[in-house]
Amino acid sequence: MIEQRFKCPVCGEISVFHGNPGEQQVVVCPGCHSKGRITIPLLSRPNGHAIEVTHLKKVYGDLIAVNDISFAVRKGEVFAFLGPNGAGKTTTVEMIESIRQPTSGTIKLLGCDIRTDFNGVKEKIGILPQEFHSFERLTVRETLLYFSNLFKKKADVDEIISTLDLTDHKNMLYKTLSGGLKQRVGVAIALVNDPEVIFLDEPTTGLDPKARREVWGVIAGLRKKGKTVFLTTHYMEEAEFLADHIAVIHKGKIIAEGSLEDLIQRYGSDSILHIKKCKDAADVIAMLKQEGFPDASSEGNGDIAVKIDYKERVLEILSRLRHDCVEYDSVDIRRSNLEEVFLRLTGSKLMEEEQ
Amino acid sequence: MNFKIIGMDFVYSVKGWYRSRGGMFWSLAFPIILILLFGAIFSGVGNTKYTLYIQDEDQSQISEMFNTTLNSTKLFNINMVKPDVNITEYIKDKNIKAVIVIPKGFGDKVRLSEKVNLSFYYDPSDQTTVQVVRSVVTSILQQMNMEISHGSNIIGVSEIKTITENFNYIDFFLPGMIGFTIMQSAIYGSIERNTKYRKDGILRKLQTTPITRTEWILAKMLFMMFLAGITTTLISIIGILVFGMTVNITPLVIIIVIATSFLFSGMGMLIGRFVKEEETADTAGGAISFPMMFLAGTFFPLEQMPQFLQVVARVLPLYYVNEGLRNSMIYLNQNEALINGGVVIVFAAVFFISGVILTKWKED
Repeated sequence: MIEQRFKCPVCGEISVFHGNPGEQQVVVCPGCHSKGRITIPLLSRPNGHAIEVTHLKKVYGDLIAVNDISFAVRKGEVFAFLGPNGAGKTTTVEMIESIRQPTSGTIKLLGCDIRTDFNGVKEKIGILPQEFHSFERLTVRETLLYFSNLFKKKADVDEIISTLDLTDHKNMLYKTLSGGLKQRVGVAIALVNDPEVIFLDEPTTGLDPKARREVWGVIAGLRKKGKTVFLTTHYMEEAEFLADHIAVIHKGKIIAEGSLEDLIQRYGSDSILHIKKCKDAADVIAMLKQEGFPDASSEGNGDIAVKIDYKERVLEILSRLRHDCVEYDSVDIRRSNLEEVFLRLTGSKLMEEEQ
Repeated sequence: MNFKIIGMDFVYSVKGWYRSRGGMFWSLAFPIILILLFGAIFSGVGNTKYTLYIQDEDQSQISEMFNTTLNSTKLFNINMVKPDVNITEYIKDKNIKAVIVIPKGFGDKVRLSEKVNLSFYYDPSDQTTVQVVRSVVTSILQQMNMEISHGSNIIGVSEIKTITENFNYIDFFLPGMIGFTIMQSAIYGSIERNTKYRKDGILRKLQTTPITRTEWILAKMLFMMFLAGITTTLISIIGILVFGMTVNITPLVIIIVIATSFLFSGMGMLIGRFVKEEETADTAGGAISFPMMFLAGTFFPLEQMPQFLQVVARVLPLYYVNEGLRNSMIYLNQNEALINGGVVIVFAAVFFISGVILTKWKED
């Protein structure tokens, strides 16, 4: 039995269904209640946990950087560790990578206790440390060969170069590369030993949106290859785009964990219909409240927000507006996102937390 | 010109300097160390005493008078050598720079107004001591000649170089230059590399790969050894071609050069362990290497320094590097060079092991 996400072609709602590989099912979208047929894919993700963290704690003097956290990362999934700067993401990942010593707790990496057998798993993991810069005066290919030669198990360096779209730059010195290319080289270095688990610590921090998308493409490619990816990030959209599973960390504690849909379902609000630049907004709000939309509210400048729980309610509102000849510019529907989940959980936006 | 911006930049620079504890420590400690060091060296210049050995084979009243006069100048630490000692061997064994030998029958010849010569054995590489001894002895002998024969040169001096070949100051300088250059590049290179690699996450990355710290440090020391080889070759070639120097590259020289590069790479690794910021690396390197350079007799002989600094010099590894290279390359005193080389190897082993143990890849 495996878990698979499907996007509803009618309303766009993403739902999780369970089934055996290759099994066909008739399902009902929980968002718009429309029926459809799905097939659970044959290419299932392997079972078991790649990483198991239990009661992990890290204390520096009076500061508790990581406060008794437990979680597990399944093999073959992209696990995003999401939180603002200073939340404890890097401390946690560096404890798993055995760079830092935990104060207490246990960490199992590919079944090995890292306190006693980290050397045994070094060959099976690939790491991109935070703010990593490689040797300035080596070319891309030389850099990859250098790191590749440190391992017994070696991936084909030229294949990695080609996969990460670095062929045109393989003979360029590392120091002459752009930020995005450097990060791609960093990811490439993490792949030189064909690892089972890849740790990427803030791989897109400081990159421009285009470069960030490029790195996302690389990570999505790793997921397709069945690699387990442990990703730390403070970008909501990065976690939304890439992660199968998200753990939200705040002040050293995991405050929520699950798939994107789970988190939105549990901590997000319903979708919101925005009516833009509505004439006589106050009257329209009063009318909507009378019609059974008690949450209808003004957002200023004639904009109105109405919380809706299912698709038919949108049609209901639109036909009522047309019936009453209400004039407005446009409407749009916004789904809840991680930002809203974070706001609900912590009482502040992630960006505010960082400031 | 916007003075507001200049002022703001100044304030932020001061803040940044204050917040970099390492930078602040080194930028304050370095000038203090230097002033203490040079103060100690040059404040003692007026009272400097040169070491002079005297072998009085004559043991007469006149030879005693000469010794007393020499002693009364208070310029020399005079050490008496027994009359029956073979002076040439003695000079070689003790690495002595200046010796006056008063020959047997000296007193009798003076009394009979027959010409007689004192022998002045000297090391030409130590020109300062040689010049001082030469001028003082000449002036004492002039005085004695005046009193004995009213001006005729009865007593003279025959000068004998303790090394047979014709060496100049540059010959003394070259081994020191080799030792100093290897030290500089190894210490600075190691500190800078450690701090930069730590900042760039390379050390963290390496820790998660199968390479061990010992392997990595050895690899780096090997690189430093390569640089040391190039440096030694270049300096020697220039010395021979440009200055016409006599350079003897013996197997012992090669061993000392290798051990020196290991020694100072290890020392750099140790210092790099405690230097957190890249910008502090240069200052930290300078604070260690510059005092060592001056104290270890790199550019001028140890005998010119006050006695207590000579004691300090003998605990510095660079002193043994310089002495070892000089003994082997210039004086061809391989026995002494072997002892110096042994000390350098012991230092190298200690610093290599400490470097491996204390170099930190793990974060706290």
